Amino acid sequence: MTLLRRHLAGVLVLGIPLAWIVIFMLVPYAIIGTYSFWTKTYPTFQPDFQFGNYATLFTDPQYLQVLLRTLKISALVSVASLALAYPFAYWLVFRCRSAGVRTWLYMAVIAPLWVSYLLRAYIWKTILGTEGILNSFLMWAGFTDAPSDIFLYNQFAMILTLTYIFIPFMVMPIYTALERIPPNLAEASADLGQTPWQTFRKVTLPLSTPGIAAGFTLTFCLSFGDFIAPFLVGGPDGNLIAGVIQTQFGSALNWPLGSALSIVMLVIVLSIVSLSDRLERSSRIGAH
Amino acid sequence: MKRTLTATLALSLAAGPVWAEGTVNVLTWEGYTDASFIAKFEEDSGCKVSATYVGSNDDFAPKLMSGGGVYDLITPSIDTTALMIDLGVVEPLDTAALAGWNDIYPKFLALEGIQRDGAYYGMPYSWGAIAFMYRKDAFTTPPTSIADLWNPELAGKISLWDDKSAIYVAARKNGDMDIYNLTDAQIENAKAALVEQKPLVRKYWATAGELVDLYKAGEVVISNTWAGYQSSLLAAEGIEVVEFIPTEGAEGWMDAWMVVKETPNKECAYKFLNMQLSEQGQCGVANVNGYSAVNAAAAKACMSPEQFAALHQDDPDYLDSLFIWTPLGERFEAYTNAWNAVKAQ
Repeated sequence: MTLLRRHLAGVLVLGIPLAWIVIFMLVPYAIIGTYSFWTKTYPTFQPDFQFGNYATLFTDPQYLQVLLRTLKISALVSVASLALAYPFAYWLVFRCRSAGVRTWLYMAVIAPLWVSYLLRAYIWKTILGTEGILNSFLMWAGFTDAPSDIFLYNQFAMILTLTYIFIPFMVMPIYTALERIPPNLAEASADLGQTPWQTFRKVTLPLSTPGIAAGFTLTFCLSFGDFIAPFLVGGPDGNLIAGVIQTQFGSALNWPLGSALSIVMLVIVLSIVSLSDRLERSSRIGAH
Repeated sequence: MKRTLTATLALSLAAGPVWAEGTVNVLTWEGYTDASFIAKFEEDSGCKVSATYVGSNDDFAPKLMSGGGVYDLITPSIDTTALMIDLGVVEPLDTAALAGWNDIYPKFLALEGIQRDGAYYGMPYSWGAIAFMYRKDAFTTPPTSIADLWNPELAGKISLWDDKSAIYVAARKNGDMDIYNLTDAQIENAKAALVEQKPLVRKYWATAGELVDLYKAGEVVISNTWAGYQSSLLAAEGIEVVEFIPTEGAEGWMDAWMVVKETPNKECAYKFLNMQLSEQGQCGVANVNGYSAVNAAAAKACMSPEQFAALHQDDPDYLDSLFIWTPLGERFEAYTNAWNAVKAQ
């Protein structure tokens, strides 16, 4: 009886999450994977096993073009987030004297995550638009005479919006990594005659690599799969891979091609995750 | 205890009949089930109308393919109705049960997209043009041609509908007027024209609301439009836009009601169809969306002479001048693929 009860508890605690993962993660992957080998035939598509959809993705330049653009945008978003988040997190952990100020500033970065993503992206439209807040300010301050249309509906607007939206995912892991570094390491380094810059380069930076890797992975993968920013603030040259997948499942009614594209995207994201995982692990080994 | 039970029983019996009168679930465009005329229908018929809106004709197939039993009626446009028949998700109409069927303009009943093997699958409902539109205060000489959307002087002030119809627009600009039967070479030329236009485009608009926002925010001054709809929304915002049919002509569309296969709510569905084809529905949609009516007799009866003229109800030449959307069938992929390639650039 007790054995059964213990068994039941085990089934519930482990079984439900396991079933969840199988039903909502693995089965959909398998379905998408299966579809990717099917053939499109008007009006829909039929079961098949052929690699034509994958071949199309690599021979028709439009898919590679969008894929490269998406990689570029995601990389720029990650780099911009890192450039802003690292100094900020560094200052919070090592330079900010007041614990209260530190908590408040940290919360200020995290707080926007509680506001709807759609709303935050939409607000950038009203800031960057031709008759928007930024243009009104520039004209009021006398920097420009006429409103400019260079801020909205282009790749710059997408990178800005995505950086703003995903930057908390860069700040959080870097902050955590920096906070974990014992302060006496920097003192020891200084005692051994290293300059602050050498200490940063040889001690702090290597020890915070796992945080950078985690932040980079998060911001990169989130931007990589985004389709709201191109829709709201992107211009005619702002088509990203998620939008193309949406088109294949929607207007083009070509689920097999859309599935093949999803699988390619999944492979790219998984490679980045495993790469960052390896980087994180090797830096941890190096630290010991 | 016993009294509670009796009371509950009595209550459920009383509630029973209202319940049984049923509902009708429609997948349609915004405005087609507007409260201004649907509220009265619900009261008269006892059928509750539950509406889900689509943003594009592309939404019908994915929604219906992911399993039936959810919707009873749909309203795809005439370029998508044949796809619904091909997909096998709709059933033939009992036109004898539709009062007013014979008052529909013959031109619409002749359209192939709504019939198959001698049976009708679609009930014409409303129609209009994919006209072009410009902001009045931005032009001294009014634009008259599609070529004005390629004018470098308007760089950054142009918008175009994010739809395969962009290919139709570019083909007409190139002088290829058989827009629904373009050859591969003609589609290639249309694609090249759209790529050439791309640096001038501020944003491709995807929804009616988005185009209204683009004009409102001063981002664009010229675009194509669903005639009657966005212009009236903009007029309500105090922005004066003028619709025009370019010298290269405009596409025309017609929306049709279709009954989803094996709907359990057939009775309510037919009551609903009859209402939509009557003055109540025909003028309802004309007043809400600014679209023209298909029922000639109803339009004559419920529209003012001004509205009747404004919606081109008395003008068969206008209708004939439009390139009415035609199902592309097997060629569908070539068109969408070309448009996707333009967007990918």
